[in-house]
Amino acid sequence: MLALLMSVLSRLAACDSKDSNILLEAEVPGITDTEIRIGSSLALSGHAGYLGTQTLHGAKAFLESINKAGGIHGRTIRLISYDDGYDPPRCLANTQRLIVEDRVFSLFCYVGTPTTVKIIPLIEEARIPLVGVFTGANALREPFNRYIINIRASYYQETDAMVQHLVADLGLSRIAVFYQYDAYGFDGLKGAELALKKYGRAPVATGSYIRGTMDIEEGLAKIIQSGAEAVVMIGTYEPCAEFIRSARARGYNPIFYNISFVGANEIAKRLGKDAEGVILTQVVPPPEAAGYQTHLWGTVEYSNLHRLYFPEDEPNFVGLEGYINAKVLVEGLNRCGRELTRERFIDAIESIQEHSLGIANTLTFSSTDHQGLEDVYFIRIENGKFVLITDWLKIKREIQTTGTVPH
Amino acid sequence: MNTFHSPGSMVDGQAAMRKEILIQKLQGLKFRDKILFSTLAVMFLLSVGIALATRWLLVNNLTSELEIRGLAIAQSLADPSRTYILTKDNPNLVSLVFDAAQLGERKPLIAYIFIADTQQSILAHTFTTPFPNDLRQANPVGPEQNNSIKLIRVHDNPAYDIAVPIREGIYQIGTIHVGLSKKHIDHLIAKLRITFLGIISVIGILFVVIIHWLSRYISRPISQLTLVADEISRGNLDAYMDSHKEFPSVNKRAGNEVAQLTDSFNNMVTSIKLYRTRLQESEEKYRSLFHSGPDPIFVLDRNTFEILDANPSAEKTYGYTKSELLGTPFRELVPEYEEAYLRGSEDKSLDDLSLGISHRAGSRKKGNLLFYVNVHACPTLYKEREAIIVATNDITEIMEKDAQLIQASKMTALGEMSAGVAHELNQPLNAIKMGSEFLNMVISRSGSVPQEHLQQVVNEISSQVDRASEIINTLREFGRKANLIEERVNVNKPIRGVFTLLSQQLSLQNIEVKLELGDALDDILAHNNRLQQVIFNLVTNARDAIHQKRKEGQGDRLISIRSFQEGDRVLITVSDTGMGIPESLKNKIFEPFFTTKEAGQGMGLGLSITYGIVKDYGGKIDVQSQEGAGTTFKLSFPVCSSTREEKKNKNGIDLLPGNETKSKDTTMKEIGPA
Repeated sequence: MLALLMSVLSRLAACDSKDSNILLEAEVPGITDTEIRIGSSLALSGHAGYLGTQTLHGAKAFLESINKAGGIHGRTIRLISYDDGYDPPRCLANTQRLIVEDRVFSLFCYVGTPTTVKIIPLIEEARIPLVGVFTGANALREPFNRYIINIRASYYQETDAMVQHLVADLGLSRIAVFYQYDAYGFDGLKGAELALKKYGRAPVATGSYIRGTMDIEEGLAKIIQSGAEAVVMIGTYEPCAEFIRSARARGYNPIFYNISFVGANEIAKRLGKDAEGVILTQVVPPPEAAGYQTHLWGTVEYSNLHRLYFPEDEPNFVGLEGYINAKVLVEGLNRCGRELTRERFIDAIESIQEHSLGIANTLTFSSTDHQGLEDVYFIRIENGKFVLITDWLKIKREIQTTGTVPH
Repeated sequence: MNTFHSPGSMVDGQAAMRKEILIQKLQGLKFRDKILFSTLAVMFLLSVGIALATRWLLVNNLTSELEIRGLAIAQSLADPSRTYILTKDNPNLVSLVFDAAQLGERKPLIAYIFIADTQQSILAHTFTTPFPNDLRQANPVGPEQNNSIKLIRVHDNPAYDIAVPIREGIYQIGTIHVGLSKKHIDHLIAKLRITFLGIISVIGILFVVIIHWLSRYISRPISQLTLVADEISRGNLDAYMDSHKEFPSVNKRAGNEVAQLTDSFNNMVTSIKLYRTRLQESEEKYRSLFHSGPDPIFVLDRNTFEILDANPSAEKTYGYTKSELLGTPFRELVPEYEEAYLRGSEDKSLDDLSLGISHRAGSRKKGNLLFYVNVHACPTLYKEREAIIVATNDITEIMEKDAQLIQASKMTALGEMSAGVAHELNQPLNAIKMGSEFLNMVISRSGSVPQEHLQQVVNEISSQVDRASEIINTLREFGRKANLIEERVNVNKPIRGVFTLLSQQLSLQNIEVKLELGDALDDILAHNNRLQQVIFNLVTNARDAIHQKRKEGQGDRLISIRSFQEGDRVLITVSDTGMGIPESLKNKIFEPFFTTKEAGQGMGLGLSITYGIVKDYGGKIDVQSQEGAGTTFKLSFPVCSSTREEKKNKNGIDLLPGNETKSKDTTMKEIGPA
């Protein structure tokens, strides 16, 4: 009796998966003879609008060039993008619309942790690939999801590397964390805490602000009081710039460290003089780093294309990330050939090994690892320019002589 | 216990018959299997019952419970969605329904959620595929309804659609539909059912194992007992006692029925063993009695009187080998026994032990030599046949001794008689003397005597010689040893014989004798001279009693003898007017060596021998006595029937020459006052 029930159940389960397989194979959404339709929901306006816009520009610059060159195996790529204003509900609604109404082949270039995390269930249910997300959130990496293709290094990796330098190289022990009170902020906080824990430490203070607001006062006060020598900041450019400006205004000058998502160019622009000495981690190299062009031929390529298609912009970190996303997408589609299905596409992405993008950071995927890049770049704003940090001792000395750190 | 049928299921004959066969089959099963099968049956029924009950309960309860949950979800969505509908904030509506659908464990349960406005256009839904159009109108909720639940199909999958209206004030502005995946519900039910069945199966298996163990636990001692019982019935009693030691633990489980059975069994075996030992001892005893007993013992078939077995003594005594004896009719050894036994068994008054007794039966050994035996028999079973165990006791020697005793006693009597006989003889002798003197005188006187006188005298002399001769004959007859064969005797003859010898003597002693002898008496089977001895003994006793009385000096001196017949018995009474027998001595008078006479006057054997003789002829002797007034002995004998006589003649037993025997084997106890 038992065995009978078991067999019936297993047969039911088998039927289930077979049915959906047939459905997928019958008609691949977003694929026509001449066109590959992909969709994106990202912040094109609002307080994170810069990030979305630049990501999109970077990506589009490359896609346009591909389309102009004849597309991929006879198909051009059409990117449908909706603005979600860094608002998770809107992102969700947009995504549903992309899947149900626009019937895109793949999702592409999402921006932001809370927004992207919101659509994970939808991705799972629709079994649609998502390529390239402008966030290093752990939630997109663990548990492993076959349909999510991350490219950049994670926030954990960023904070871990940074904390390592702060503690080991700069000899700082009092470290505070300022974060955005949402999934993104928590993810960064957790990464910083985990990194500090390796040294037997914990943040001396934590402060937070609500997403979309500038209410940094309370957190700032808390952190100033703690006398932290460095502040790890997990936020967007507006509140973070406000935090740094306010701190400096009160004569509090610890090491400000920002995570990549902050948008390096934007925060530098907003801080102006106050940006001096701010450290950032980036997951892509500086797009126009002087003296490294031969090594970083990819950044040169990007800069040229960006300037070509979006002359109003300056090439920037965010755009470069969008550009790299597009390159991975195209590489995957290319490897698939004419027979394009979502599953084959993911298999193709997973087949990319040690692929050079010209950014001194090779791209590698596998069936168990959907994060293509691992490296983190440390950048210091010096005289309004982004400088790759190569000598931490120099910074340490500088701190000691200028005495920017209290006590 | 072991039938699946309810009593009411007997509807027709065939079914009843089938049921009977089933029951028979079940009854034929081993105890252990019965327990096992019935438990399995109960378990099976229980499992089916529980499965059905579970299905019913689960399907109903779970479905309604989940519907309530779906309803709660829908109702909880109604409030926030109102705001978004009014502000036309579709992204938040989408987010709302997705959040609601994705929340935790709801995800597999909820197939979809969608919100429609009053025009049935969809404001938000959780599908990742185009919205199925037939869903719009699938489960409308009326203005008066608070909710509506309906089973519908979405993409060929069944789902419970729960519709809840969204109202602003009293008017509806939209509807929330929550679809519960029926597949998931069914899956839950199936999972629970499998869990239930798994538990039941585990319990069932456990139960079966326990029952199996229990039934073995119960039936093992029983089958062990069976084995042991088989062993015992093969006669291996000792083997049991040995093996029994191996499970003494059985004994210690007090209170347990099986243990009680085992105990009883043990006791039974012990007592069987005991009885067997006793039986063996007894058998050995009897076997040794049978084999080494001095008397011949035979086992006879009760119907054919053939010899089935005989002991060595029988072989020795009869001179036949055992193989010669087996199968031989017993009548060839003891010709008259068969008849005696049959006669005895017809007599209802005899018990088993006495019916087979036969005294002084003639018996032949090899070579047709005759000897005398007492036969004792008792019925028995021999190899499942009705049989008689017969012991023959050679009494020839005893009989000879008895005869010698009787003879000796007779000689004593003869001695006593001699004086009387002398008198008796004197009379004829005197008469002859006188006659011869007369004749002498005649011769000397020469012829003056008439012829008639001479004739008379000669006749007288002749008759007196006859008389003397008679006396002598009688005397000789008396002294002669009796034949072993009984003869027809008229009792008057010995009476007269005795008085031939005694009348003179008695009259000399002034004792009057009165004889009243009956006419036409039937004969009895006896010996004339032994009867004479009997009467002589009685008469001399009477005389002595009268003499004894005379010493005391008083009364009549009369001995009266009567003979008469009463039915088939001939009676003789001998009465005297002597001193009588004191009451205290009445019991002892027939005992041997009992006498009241002075030492030297008698051996005290007279009455004892008298008693023996009378008994030998099947007679009775009776004493009536009044102290000081006299004694009457009353003898009674069965008359001789002619048939009996004929049979006797036909058997034709030869007499052992010169062996006049007389048995006297009656015990003292039997002798008592009549």
